[in-house]
Amino acid sequence: MQPPSSDVLRGTLDLLILKTLTLEPMHGWGIGQRIQQLSRGVLDANQGSLYPAFQRLEQKGWIESEWRTTENNRRAKYYRLTTAGRRAVGAEAASWRRYVEAVELILQTT
Amino acid sequence: MSAIKGFAARLRALLSPRTTERSLNEEIEFHIEQETEKNLRLGMSHAEARRRALVEFGGLSQTREAHHDVYAARPLEELVADTRYTLRTMRRTPVLAGAAILTLALGIGANTAIFSAVNAVVLQPLPFPNPKQLYMVWEENPEKGWYKQVAAPANMLDWKEQVAAFADVMAYSEGFGTATLTENGEPTIVRPAFGTGNFFSVLGARAALGRTFVDAETWKTGHRIAVLSHHLWRDRFGGDRNIIGRTIQLDGAPIQVVGVMPASFDYPNEKVDLWEPWAWDPSNRQQVSFRRAHWLSVVARVTPGISQDAANAQLQAVVKRLQRDYPGTNRVMGAGITPLHEFLVGDTRLPLLVLLGAVALLLLIACANVGNLMLVKAADREREAALRLALGAGRRRLVRQALTESLVMSLVGGLAGIALGMWGTRALQAMQPAGMLRVSHFNFDWVVFGYVLAITTVSGLLFGIAPALWSSRRAPQDALKEGGRGGSQSRRMRRWGERLVIGEVALALMLSVGAALLVRSLLRLQQVDPGFDPNGAIAARLELPGTRYDTGDKANNFFSRLEEQLRSIPGVQSVGSTSDVPLTGGGYSSDFVVAGWPEGTYGSEVLHRRVTPEFFKAIRTPVLAGRAFTVDDRAKSASVVIINEALAKKHFKGQDPIGQRISFDKVPDSSSTWSTIVGIVKDQHQSKLGIEPQIEVFEPLTQSPTGGMSVIVRTAGDPASLGPAIRRTVAAMDRSLALSSVETLNQIRAESLARERFLTTLLLLFAGVGLALAVVGVYGVMAQMARRRVREMGIRLALGAQANDVRWLVVRNGLRLVTIGLAIGTAGAFAATRTMQALLFGIAPKDPLTFVVVPALLVLTALVATWMPASYASRADPATALRAE
Repeated sequence: MQPPSSDVLRGTLDLLILKTLTLEPMHGWGIGQRIQQLSRGVLDANQGSLYPAFQRLEQKGWIESEWRTTENNRRAKYYRLTTAGRRAVGAEAASWRRYVEAVELILQTT
Repeated sequence: MSAIKGFAARLRALLSPRTTERSLNEEIEFHIEQETEKNLRLGMSHAEARRRALVEFGGLSQTREAHHDVYAARPLEELVADTRYTLRTMRRTPVLAGAAILTLALGIGANTAIFSAVNAVVLQPLPFPNPKQLYMVWEENPEKGWYKQVAAPANMLDWKEQVAAFADVMAYSEGFGTATLTENGEPTIVRPAFGTGNFFSVLGARAALGRTFVDAETWKTGHRIAVLSHHLWRDRFGGDRNIIGRTIQLDGAPIQVVGVMPASFDYPNEKVDLWEPWAWDPSNRQQVSFRRAHWLSVVARVTPGISQDAANAQLQAVVKRLQRDYPGTNRVMGAGITPLHEFLVGDTRLPLLVLLGAVALLLLIACANVGNLMLVKAADREREAALRLALGAGRRRLVRQALTESLVMSLVGGLAGIALGMWGTRALQAMQPAGMLRVSHFNFDWVVFGYVLAITTVSGLLFGIAPALWSSRRAPQDALKEGGRGGSQSRRMRRWGERLVIGEVALALMLSVGAALLVRSLLRLQQVDPGFDPNGAIAARLELPGTRYDTGDKANNFFSRLEEQLRSIPGVQSVGSTSDVPLTGGGYSSDFVVAGWPEGTYGSEVLHRRVTPEFFKAIRTPVLAGRAFTVDDRAKSASVVIINEALAKKHFKGQDPIGQRISFDKVPDSSSTWSTIVGIVKDQHQSKLGIEPQIEVFEPLTQSPTGGMSVIVRTAGDPASLGPAIRRTVAAMDRSLALSSVETLNQIRAESLARERFLTTLLLLFAGVGLALAVVGVYGVMAQMARRRVREMGIRLALGAQANDVRWLVVRNGLRLVTIGLAIGTAGAFAATRTMQALLFGIAPKDPLTFVVVPALLVLTALVATWMPASYASRADPATALRAE
């Protein structure tokens, strides 16, 4: 059993990855960079934890991977959202918003 | 779709872990290079850039591990690992593994063999199209005590024509003796079966060559035809495809071959060499004998969609009509139908089920034994399990590992068991008494395989569950503490061991009681006086073809000349002949009336036999009153009969039967023959030793001639050695004759007990193996317990206990368990042996002797099994025992 807080964290990371991938297929490093940029440096995802997350999402069938060549002519594994993944982003985002609202409510009342 | 993709990813990872790992490494490497480049662009030195990248990424090996956790199909991978681990332990402890596998193989092998017989005989459908539509139609007559008996031809024809639910009805008879085939050299005895013209078409069987019969051939067509069995065609005619249309000589008469059946067709039994249609004369139908004599096995094919009840209801309507229309023959004649398969399986079902029960008990004992071995092993690995628990292994994980171990063990045992079972199946086929199992060949098919797989898995779970639960329920700290003291016992461990002892004793008792009952029953049977002296005599069966021996005189002359010539063989003491040898089934039976009985009274079911004058002397059946037949009882002299004791007792209460006259018509009239009773002989068991002698009359062969006789030759020497001389004598008298069987009376007696002996031998074998396993098991558990108490014993001895006290302590504990086991086993045996009632002769299923002797023997064996560990414990040297930490 994992402590519950890490579950939340993990769920967040999955959502961030999925959201990032809605723009375009990307490789792992790129995804990490993009999350950092988009959150203006607030969210610094632990880079090592990205990769197990990729496998998890791939097993859920939400993302697919494929080896491709980068602009610099390097081989890299690119991840891309599947149709199921695209649907999941909406649901995951909604659930995240509910969570945030709930936390916000509690913070305001106390 | 996405689920499939996900699964495919898992599978890939499982099947090629290296590729997956390489791929991950490459991906991470790419990531770190990118990060390093970024750091370089930020102005770091090359070394610093790479270092920061690595730090930023976090623990490389953790990532790999986490990735692996997500990826690998965890349960599958663990299964592979556990299996490998099990195989490794088995290699490391070959004796233990070998003992477990051998034990399982015995249990599973015995089950495989018996189940393959059950499968072939009881479970597999008949080898005909739509076999469920086939029913045996039988007759019953409460007045004569007939049930499920053969039918009369005229009744059969009426059913065929009047019962609309029957699509068609055929009839056959297998008991028509033998015929002599004189073709291609030596005369050979062949066994024909006779049937109606639609015999094959009702079954749905087709010829392999040529044709089968047509319905019209039930009746006389002017020339005889036959269909050959595959084996006769192959062995006697060299598989000649041009045989169709050829005429062969059977009993000296021409008969045309119209077809050859495939090898798979062996109805009604595999001994039939050829089939002939009856070719009845159409005028027979009007004759009363066609309705009075019952000798047909009748099979109906019911119209598709008609239920058994509906068909039977229609049959009953016809039966009622026949009872009304033919009161003379059918007044109390009932009829009924039974699914053909059920009818044919008949009385083989019970012995097979008893055997199946026995091997199931055997397997349970085997499981208990292996369970104990696994438990001992688990105990030895107690510390390992505790350590793993302490280090965070899930309990479920431990249970799974233990179960995997037992399943792997049982699968290996199952494989060995299949090998043993295949051998056993062949042995069973070779050993079975002729005709006991309707199917002579049974194979290891998918049904058997499925069964073996099922029992293998179930036994794996059975013997694996105890050690699995035991090892997982332990609190690690206790186990580690106890383990630290060098593996001592937990109470739960001991309870499991005790349960195993109790269970094994109970099971072994049930098995042994079953076997003992059969042994007692067989011994009783063997003590039954057959009514003749089976020692020193041989019987030779001869069927004179009616074509050449067409008058009674010719047949009579032949047999009296044959007897005369046989008497001249040196050593021969007496020679006599009979139409039916005792213990091989009786001849025909009839009603009878004794002169002077009130009008309308009659007796039923008296057996008839024809004998020559010296028969009673040759077979040594005492004449109790009156006289035996003599050569002066000729064809034309006064009609005489001899009756057996049973008939005298049953129907001549208090009167002297000698001199009274008897007729074999139910309602005698002026045309009836009256015979004078001239003698009373001791009863012979006509069909089996286990069946009481029936009432019987003997007629002199001269006055009731027949061509089928068995010659009994009694000699001072070895009767078996007379066989060749008898054959030579017969051949010298008539070249074209062959003996259909030559057997000593002792062989005949043994054959009549073959089924009982077969069943008893098998059950005794299973009980023996079961008992041996149980003793080993009890010994194993007791030894284990004693070993675990060595320290305690050491202390006791050190404190002044005598070796005897210590021994007694262990033995007493063992006896306590054995007693509980015996109590449970006795209850179980009481319940189980009730089902065996029909298989027992002369003893009750609750036979007191059996239920005293068998448990006593078990206690004795158990004493031996506990004595050895006990004396081991008593020899414990206090000093070493106390130091043995």
